[in-house]
Amino acid sequence: MHDRALLRVTGLAKSVPGGRELFRSLHLTAKPGQLIAIVGESGVGKSTLLNILAGLDEPDSGRVAIEDIDLHALDEDALTKIRATRIGFVFQAFHVLPYLTLRQNVALPLALVSADRQTIDARADAMLDRVGLGARGDGYARDLSGGELQRIAIARAFVHRPAIILADEPTGNLDPETAAKILDLFSKAVREDGVAAIIVTHSEAAAGIADVVLTLTATGLERRA
Amino acid sequence: MSLVSARLALGWLIGGEWRAHPARLALTAVAIAIGVALGFAVHLVNGSALTSFEGALRTVNGSADVQVNATTPLGFDEALYASVSTASGVADASPVVVLRATVGKTRFTLLGLDVIRAAQVTPSLVGIAPAGIDRRTDAAFDDQALFLSSAAMRAIGTKPGDRLTVAANGRATPLRVAGALPGVAEGQAIGVVDIATAQWRFGRLGRLDRIDVKQVEGASTAALATILPRDATIGTSASDASRSAALSRAYRVNLDMLALVALLTGGFLVFSAQSLSVARRLRAFALIRTLGLPRNGIVATVALEGLAIGVIGASLGLLLGYALAYAALTRFGGDLGAGYFADGSVRLTFAPAAAVGFFSLGLLAAVAGSVLPARIAARAAPAAALRNAGEVIDPRTPVPWIPAAVLIAVGGVAALLPAIGGLPLFGFASMALILAGGIAGMPWLARTLLSPLARRPDRNVATGLAIRHLHGAPGQAATALCGIVASTALMIAMAVMVTSFRGAVDEWLGQILSDDLYLRVEGGTGYDPAAQAVLRATPGVARIAFSRQVPLTLRADRPPVTLIARPVADGEDPTLVLLDKAERLPAGTTPIWLSEPAARLYGWKVGASVTLPLAGRYAVAGIWRDYARQQGAIVIRDTDYAKATGDLTRTEAAITLRPGANSREVQRALAARSPRTLASLISIAQPATLRRYALELFDRSFAVTYLLEAVAILVGLAGVAATMSAQTIARTREFGMLRHIGVSKRQIIAMLASEGALLGLVGGIAGIALGGIMAQVLVHVINPQSFNWTMATRVPWGIVASVAGALVIAAAGTATLAGRRAIAADAVRMVREDW
Amino acid sequence: MRRLVKSVLTVAALALTAAMPAATDYPVVRPGARFVFPREHGAHPAFRTEWWYVTGLLKTRDGRDLGFQITFFRTTPKTDSANPSRFAPKQILFAHAALSDPSIGHLLHGERAARAGFGLAQARIGDTDVTLRDWRIHRLPDGRFVTNVATRDFSLALTLTPRQPPLLEGKDGYSQKGPRPEQASYYYSVPHLAVTGSLTRDRKAQPVTGQAWLDREWSSDYLGGGAVGWDWTGLNLDDGGALMAFRIRGAGGKQVWAGGSLRRADGGVVRFAPGDVRFDPLRQWRSPRTGALYPVTQRLSIRLPEGVRRFDLTPLFADQELDARRSGMPVYWEGAVRTAGGSGYLELTGYADPLRM
Repeated sequence: MHDRALLRVTGLAKSVPGGRELFRSLHLTAKPGQLIAIVGESGVGKSTLLNILAGLDEPDSGRVAIEDIDLHALDEDALTKIRATRIGFVFQAFHVLPYLTLRQNVALPLALVSADRQTIDARADAMLDRVGLGARGDGYARDLSGGELQRIAIARAFVHRPAIILADEPTGNLDPETAAKILDLFSKAVREDGVAAIIVTHSEAAAGIADVVLTLTATGLERRA
Repeated sequence: MSLVSARLALGWLIGGEWRAHPARLALTAVAIAIGVALGFAVHLVNGSALTSFEGALRTVNGSADVQVNATTPLGFDEALYASVSTASGVADASPVVVLRATVGKTRFTLLGLDVIRAAQVTPSLVGIAPAGIDRRTDAAFDDQALFLSSAAMRAIGTKPGDRLTVAANGRATPLRVAGALPGVAEGQAIGVVDIATAQWRFGRLGRLDRIDVKQVEGASTAALATILPRDATIGTSASDASRSAALSRAYRVNLDMLALVALLTGGFLVFSAQSLSVARRLRAFALIRTLGLPRNGIVATVALEGLAIGVIGASLGLLLGYALAYAALTRFGGDLGAGYFADGSVRLTFAPAAAVGFFSLGLLAAVAGSVLPARIAARAAPAAALRNAGEVIDPRTPVPWIPAAVLIAVGGVAALLPAIGGLPLFGFASMALILAGGIAGMPWLARTLLSPLARRPDRNVATGLAIRHLHGAPGQAATALCGIVASTALMIAMAVMVTSFRGAVDEWLGQILSDDLYLRVEGGTGYDPAAQAVLRATPGVARIAFSRQVPLTLRADRPPVTLIARPVADGEDPTLVLLDKAERLPAGTTPIWLSEPAARLYGWKVGASVTLPLAGRYAVAGIWRDYARQQGAIVIRDTDYAKATGDLTRTEAAITLRPGANSREVQRALAARSPRTLASLISIAQPATLRRYALELFDRSFAVTYLLEAVAILVGLAGVAATMSAQTIARTREFGMLRHIGVSKRQIIAMLASEGALLGLVGGIAGIALGGIMAQVLVHVINPQSFNWTMATRVPWGIVASVAGALVIAAAGTATLAGRRAIAADAVRMVREDW
Repeated sequence: MRRLVKSVLTVAALALTAAMPAATDYPVVRPGARFVFPREHGAHPAFRTEWWYVTGLLKTRDGRDLGFQITFFRTTPKTDSANPSRFAPKQILFAHAALSDPSIGHLLHGERAARAGFGLAQARIGDTDVTLRDWRIHRLPDGRFVTNVATRDFSLALTLTPRQPPLLEGKDGYSQKGPRPEQASYYYSVPHLAVTGSLTRDRKAQPVTGQAWLDREWSSDYLGGGAVGWDWTGLNLDDGGALMAFRIRGAGGKQVWAGGSLRRADGGVVRFAPGDVRFDPLRQWRSPRTGALYPVTQRLSIRLPEGVRRFDLTPLFADQELDARRSGMPVYWEGAVRTAGGSGYLELTGYADPLRM
């Protein structure tokens, strides 16, 4: 079971509305505990690829399967459910809601599918512990530094035990020192939880923690040595 | 993924928003509350007044099945009683003499009844039952016995056993208070005497004013109708109700509409507040959409917020409305000072149906105001929304104008449609459509107005930025503006209407009050020919024109028109300014002149032959302008009136003085030469006094209108304030960036002030333009359709200018205040601010 | 000075008279009046109270016995005679009609009332013709009386044919009602009226026949002093005789006056003095409506020259109370009764409340 593919992308093609082709026949497979970094120049379609993987955008052709479920065969509701239960997100701008407590922010993915408050709180607190902010659950975003905010975001991405984590420039808004700590935390969590993580990044540091680094070019994904 | 399973997350989102911005949500709730309160209060006051008025009518009528009513206060021949009594379908009939009586200064309705008949037909009006032959008492037929309702006893300050002098129809007679009228509803001042006493002592021999009829079960009034002479009509409780409702219906509907306008403005305020709240939370919504909230989750969240605002606001509004209605009733009376319900006190009656109705309307306004922006937000692609804060601004995007144009065009067409059931429903629809069109056209208007400014090279950083922002994001500006445009438009419309109306009334008063003195006798009595001759010979009097006004019932379901018997000169009569004039009248007809409302209400054209409940054949010789009698008036030449009715009594006189005569001396002489019985009933006034009095009355009747207007504009201004501060706060990061690149705090505040002022200006211009159009609908459609009088438009430039000024200042002021708060934080933090 | 005072007083007195209504003065009933017919059949509006009072028994075609009563009252209230209004209550007319049907067990009745005038209500002078809207009693030139009444429950259209001359009660029609001579009425009866006509119930008309008694009485001071009511009976005897007896009761049921007469089949009349008439209750019945206790079965004892004769008056049924208070009528018991050798009506007044007439 160890090499079961959590994410399998086959023959993906996407053009921007103007007609320019972003990629064609793109293949990608991610296994549990595997951390894949996708790098490339601005405008090659890294974010578009990530949106397609999250089911937020549709490819022109090809197929994305998460745990062997074909995303693009699903309707809006089913996709929403997959996102809520099987996918975790980490963004460049941390997107920690300022008017929710940190615990609520972390627990948000759980609260979207369950109303069992005690379980939710317990898991959120455990997750806060893991990112080193165990005592701050009742605080608010405005009390935190950038690095701390991203820790909250990472906690939110992992809290509902997703199959894959999609991270878009997770260290883009952080200074190098903080970024290193965050990347360390992130890769540890990926391996501990056995999820598959896709990081889209410009950062060499971020690419450095990846098992596989793929470069997105006009023709497709190229594996970097 | 159902919303039910996401309820915890939704709860956090809503709760978080409310904790973060309690003041804003409270403000929107208050806006709804004010709208609901005004609507409910106006409705309650109107409803209570109408209920009391109808109650009074029912009481006086003693709830007979059917009545035969005299069409004028002159009554009809008593012989009709015998034929009505024996008509088919009539089980019993009770003859009634109706008098407006006074004891001292207290007025009440005095009924002359045959107690035996009344006991069968209208038992509630019976003070003492006729005793049998075994009682040897004639109390029921006592010709000096007066029975008074408890309200009348209280008002007069008397008790059974007292002797009183009762005056009516110019006569006074001593009567003994014999007892109470326990069947008469509380608050109604009514007295009852024997019908023979009423006829004899108050000069009504041979005449009756009413016959109350008890019908055989299932009988129709058709048989009865065939035997009635012209001076009597059939009334039923249905026609009574419709008559009393018709009395003030248009006025009440207009007030209701105004109250709804206030509610609508409240709805706009919710819309703008919620739009901004949604715009501000667009990224938050995008985030949780990405995290797995279904699309309708956002709508649900915002709708729930709206619902909560609605429930709180509407509940508050109902309480406030009830309190307002109570205060208004005690302070202004049941007609809110409009003078429709002169008699009797009004008690507040709670209206559960109306309460539910206004609660729902409040809820609807709040939910609709929330759902509309939420749906727009839900449609946005979450991935794009996550990257962009707020609206995707592209100054090149064309702004649609067709929907707005279509709405306004349809509104214009609706204005051309006729009234429904005497109510200008299409007129109101037209106003609503024009308003909606105007608001829909706001983005286009903002863009169009600002384009020339935006193309101009900047001289000033602050105003340049402000113009670019508004020009590039006209939708955002429009959102901020819709509340203010709506309330400005409505206020301007009302102000133009009231100004036009007041101006027309003023001018008309100047035309009709052309004599030197006016004399009037109160209380349905007047000068007989001998007394008229004495007055005519008063020194200093050059000319005296006597007239008489009597109510004349043309249709049982409509309030009576006023029949004015007065001299009318052949050819042009300068005191009767005609709007329309017949070229020639049908042969053998007597000319009458209709007031404009009378002509419109009864659909009579000049030259037409008409039937009046008076002897003779009549034709409409002309139509004259009248703003005094909404139910219509008919002028008949005094000699023709005397011929038709034999009534020579005159109650009013217009006096022209000889050159050099002293007005005061003549007034004293006229009073001194009047019969003694009239001494306390005469009032003599100069035109200036009458004019002042009439305009005071006018202003009083529009007091509530002014108040509602003011509230609507305040709600609108509150909307601008809320919008401006919300937008300002939402743009904190933008300000941080501007500070970084070297724009000073003062420049940012100046920019915000300019933006505010520009918004106010655009809103003001749009509102005034829209209001001007709507005023035309009010003046030329709604007013004629509901009050049956026409007038020319007069624009209150002063008010228009001050409204525009107030708007600009208020918008700029609130924007500045909000801006000061927004830039108080340091620039670095502002840029880093996540949201 | 004295002249001035005097003239002031005179003026004051005049003013006082002018202010007082010219009250109606009623004529006093005195003995010695001579009755002239048909004039006495008509109204006597100067007197305060007057009635045309028909009671009798009817037989339906299917042989059932019913009692009926049709009464027209006229009263002249004390009002200002100067009032020129046509509505002035110079005369008030009342009427009621009641039907006693043993199968129903209580009276069916209806009323009319009106002030005279407008052709809707009047009582003619000179002969019987009393109209109250749709109700009427009048005398035809041939001497028959015709009456029509309609109530919610029944209508009667009857022709009453006299077979005997009027019986003048008291002293030639002067019937004393109390110890004082002015407490009296003018009173005559027409017994043994043959009845034909129709009774309509539930919209079905049926012919009826029977025998009736007409009482005509007018007075200005009927019940004097402490009198509260009376017991009265009028009996058509099977042998052609006619018996009328009454007693006036004071407070506590004490008899304050009594009288009556018997006209024998041969036309001979015996008049009763107060001591000649006795009413003794045999059975009492309490009204559930008014709580009044009526002696509905009575033994009437009259002293005749040949000795005391007793009549046990048995009602058709007990509940023949007429409660018309809602229409301004008194409450009293007016019931068809039978006795050995005759039948007629018993009237019991003043049991619910004392009467004042």
